[in-house]
Amino acid sequence: MPPSIHPVDLVATLRQRNLTPAIIFLTSRRACDEAMQSFERSQVTLPKAQQEQIARVLTQVTEQFPSIAEHPLIETVQRIGVAAHHAGHLPSWKIAVEELMRTGSLDAVFATTTLAAGVDFPARTVVVTQSSIRKARDFTDLSASEIQQLAGRAGRRGKDLVGFAVITPSPYIDLTVLTKGLTGQPEAIHSQFVITYPMVLNLLKAHPREQIQSILAKSFAQFQLNQRTAVLETKLDSLRAEMEPFGPRVCSDWITQWQVFEQARKRKKPRSPFARQESPDVAARLHFLTPGRVVGVTRGRGIILRQYRSKGQHAPMVTLLREGGSLNECPASIVTQVFDRTFDCEETSSYPWCTPQTLEELTHHLTELPPRLPILPILAHQHEETPIDSSIIHTLGDFACPTCPSRQACQRDFPRASRVRQEIQRHIKSIQALQTSLWHRFQERIDVLEKFGYLNANAQLTADGEWARLIRIDHSLLITELIRAEAFGAIDPPLLAAIMASIAHDDDRPGSFPRGSTGLVTLLFQVRKLAESLTPHEAPPMLRADVAALTERWVSDQTLTWIGLARLTTMAEGDMFRLFARTIEFLSQLKTLKATHPSLAESADHAIAAMRRGVLEELP
Amino acid sequence: MNTHELERLLMQQPVSLLHRLARGRISRHFRSGKRKLVDLLLQASAENRPGLESDLQALIDQRAERPQPAPVENTRPPQARSRQDVPAPSRPHRTDDHGHHEPPVSLHEWLSGIGVPPPQPFVPDAWQVEALEKLAETDVVVSVPTGSGKTYVAIEATARAMRENRTVIYTSPLKALSNTKFTEFSRVFGPGQVGILTGDRREHSQAPLLIMTTEILRNLLYDAAGGEIDVRLDTLGLVIMDESQYLADPERGVVWEETLIFCPSQARLLLLSASIGNPQDIADWLTAIRPTPCSLIRHTKRSVPLRAGYLHPNEKLTPLFRTAGIPYGQPHLLHPEAKRLFMEYEEETGPSRSR
Repeated sequence: MPPSIHPVDLVATLRQRNLTPAIIFLTSRRACDEAMQSFERSQVTLPKAQQEQIARVLTQVTEQFPSIAEHPLIETVQRIGVAAHHAGHLPSWKIAVEELMRTGSLDAVFATTTLAAGVDFPARTVVVTQSSIRKARDFTDLSASEIQQLAGRAGRRGKDLVGFAVITPSPYIDLTVLTKGLTGQPEAIHSQFVITYPMVLNLLKAHPREQIQSILAKSFAQFQLNQRTAVLETKLDSLRAEMEPFGPRVCSDWITQWQVFEQARKRKKPRSPFARQESPDVAARLHFLTPGRVVGVTRGRGIILRQYRSKGQHAPMVTLLREGGSLNECPASIVTQVFDRTFDCEETSSYPWCTPQTLEELTHHLTELPPRLPILPILAHQHEETPIDSSIIHTLGDFACPTCPSRQACQRDFPRASRVRQEIQRHIKSIQALQTSLWHRFQERIDVLEKFGYLNANAQLTADGEWARLIRIDHSLLITELIRAEAFGAIDPPLLAAIMASIAHDDDRPGSFPRGSTGLVTLLFQVRKLAESLTPHEAPPMLRADVAALTERWVSDQTLTWIGLARLTTMAEGDMFRLFARTIEFLSQLKTLKATHPSLAESADHAIAAMRRGVLEELP
Repeated sequence: MNTHELERLLMQQPVSLLHRLARGRISRHFRSGKRKLVDLLLQASAENRPGLESDLQALIDQRAERPQPAPVENTRPPQARSRQDVPAPSRPHRTDDHGHHEPPVSLHEWLSGIGVPPPQPFVPDAWQVEALEKLAETDVVVSVPTGSGKTYVAIEATARAMRENRTVIYTSPLKALSNTKFTEFSRVFGPGQVGILTGDRREHSQAPLLIMTTEILRNLLYDAAGGEIDVRLDTLGLVIMDESQYLADPERGVVWEETLIFCPSQARLLLLSASIGNPQDIADWLTAIRPTPCSLIRHTKRSVPLRAGYLHPNEKLTPLFRTAGIPYGQPHLLHPEAKRLFMEYEEETGPSRSR
């Protein structure tokens, strides 16, 4: 089975079923043209009467637009009653096809889906061969609105009792997208409001800065933001209701209180039970209080037999053999001096903690000791607690929580209450953001314009701003900056038109084009550099040198015919036409600067006059 | 049909039918017994119960149409038998169907009615009359399907405004459309009465009806606000914005908003739009920002009924849906024949389908 039905067979089937005239939507211009070519080889010919009717309509249109007369497709269209209609064609040819459809002379038209909105003629049948559409280099599924827009062309009021939308599969089809689109509701539309530089300049020209916010509030964007705000506000209300049981308790802001308390409690290190009890002096001495060490106590001296911690408080303790032979269990703090003298001590694990022999020896040594002994200098390590800890200890003292009567309730409700409170704050913030976002964006634009000197510090238009506000097209910042940089000082009309064309053109279809003059290449290089430097503030245009060169040719060489121009490039006629029409639009904006930039305006005027000839003059 | 009924109905069907039903719904269904199969089917179609029901019905109907050599057990009883003596398995749901259990529309039926309606004197539709009436009092947003006759409203509203010596501005998104309308309106009102202003064309700029692209109107309004007052804005009585769904155009939508915000308050607004999901929002918005309230005229019914069909690459044509018209809100009601053909197509072109 072929991946999709052959165009000739398709039209034949439609004819046979009496479903003509039909609009057949194809994926690309190329598909439309190929479909037309496939008819050239077919043997189909229309009955004489219909051929004559087509010829009659075409003659009528040709009177208005003489350029159609030379169109290469006329013969085929007349023979087979089928035509193509897409953006690659000249508007005059499209008008001719539309007129043919309106008079019912054609059986089918191949059109691209992209141009569904521009196809302003109905038919009995619409054929859809795809479910996705190329948007910015990527295929996106058709939306319900788009599908209904396509299907909407089916059924001519007053000429048809029913209209038909026929789906025929091609490799690019997903049937569910189409059936859902046909049976579904069209999508809601959303504001695409952006703040442009000309908008800022024009608004500030007419209104003081204080009023701008109220003007922005009138936009559909703000209206839809307000709808979102309303949703958030209902949510906020329900959150506030949820918050109700967590109102003021013993303290009015108990959630914060508890939160800080919790933090303080968590941050506080668990204090070591040993460190808590002993002073730095004692702690430092402990290391020297080994069995056999001679120490001085408040009254008299003694020898340490063992060192240990008391059971309950883990206080450092020592067992001391004192003068007179008594064994005392005393806290380590009793030791006042540590002498530089130790004796061997054979330890045991139970009272008296050393062998009787050692005890005897030690008792003996103790009596024999000289009255003055060298004292070990012991440096007490001043273990300071870190300030944060002390501060926490300090604050903890301020908290009433540990003894508060509502402590249990606070502890229980805290997780939920704090979550709800966070949500509430988040919502309040989003609502604020929604309400001020347009104004912030406007403010950003003001800042940029002020930086470039179109506005003064009070957001009033400077002399430059006064004329710059008249440039109300895409890439306005680049154009006004070019004018200020005097890039167009005493520019030739062809060069000016070429630069404007490269700024205006936003299509990236490749092709072959004539070469530009050296002057154009140099100037375009400068324009590119400037555009790059403006990138943070304005997306740069494509600035294609090839379309610029094409425009330059058309303007500079007045003897060049449209056909001659079309031979220089692979660009489609329709694209060329659109490029020039848009360039003329841009140039006519420059023409409005007559008062401040007379030579530029004059040059633009000449360029427009030079561009308007042949097809461009005849056409609307 | 509730789950219980559906389950009972499924249990009454032969296993082969259940297997056919399971195709594409359950993987490896051949291993399960009848009971299990029914359970799996119900599970698998929990999300799309109507789809299962309609497929089941289609299969039952197909079986019924086929001549049965074996004693009839699971098919519908012939009409001649009375209801009492045959416990008809598929009977209960046939009596209380909701429209989609009717047999699918035949091609012949679907194609019937092609033709040209007899010439009738033009009578405006109710919505057209209503839109014009409302326009006398308020701004109007019209959201109707493509081809419903929005142009009639535009022309009639223009004629009324012109009778009161008021200027009318008509904007369209595309230059090509502006040109078409220029030709069309020149035919209606006479060539001297219509002017056109686009980025690169200016004709009869003092005519009472001016056709322009939306960008041009925006620029006029900015000029007026900036002090270079165009006198004609004072006599402006009506602004018609065609294809106002362009409000949502990513690149140019902002121009529509600017225009609507700065549109002089004494001028009436007439917004003509194709069907969109939220026309009420636009009407509410305009009511909120303009001194005059804004009414919405909305209808979704097409003036010429639409039918959808499916054309197979082998030139076989079938209706796309079970019903002749478009089953709004029920995309799953595919015609069994169209479904079968499309599945066949997908199977054959399967691997190459990935783009």
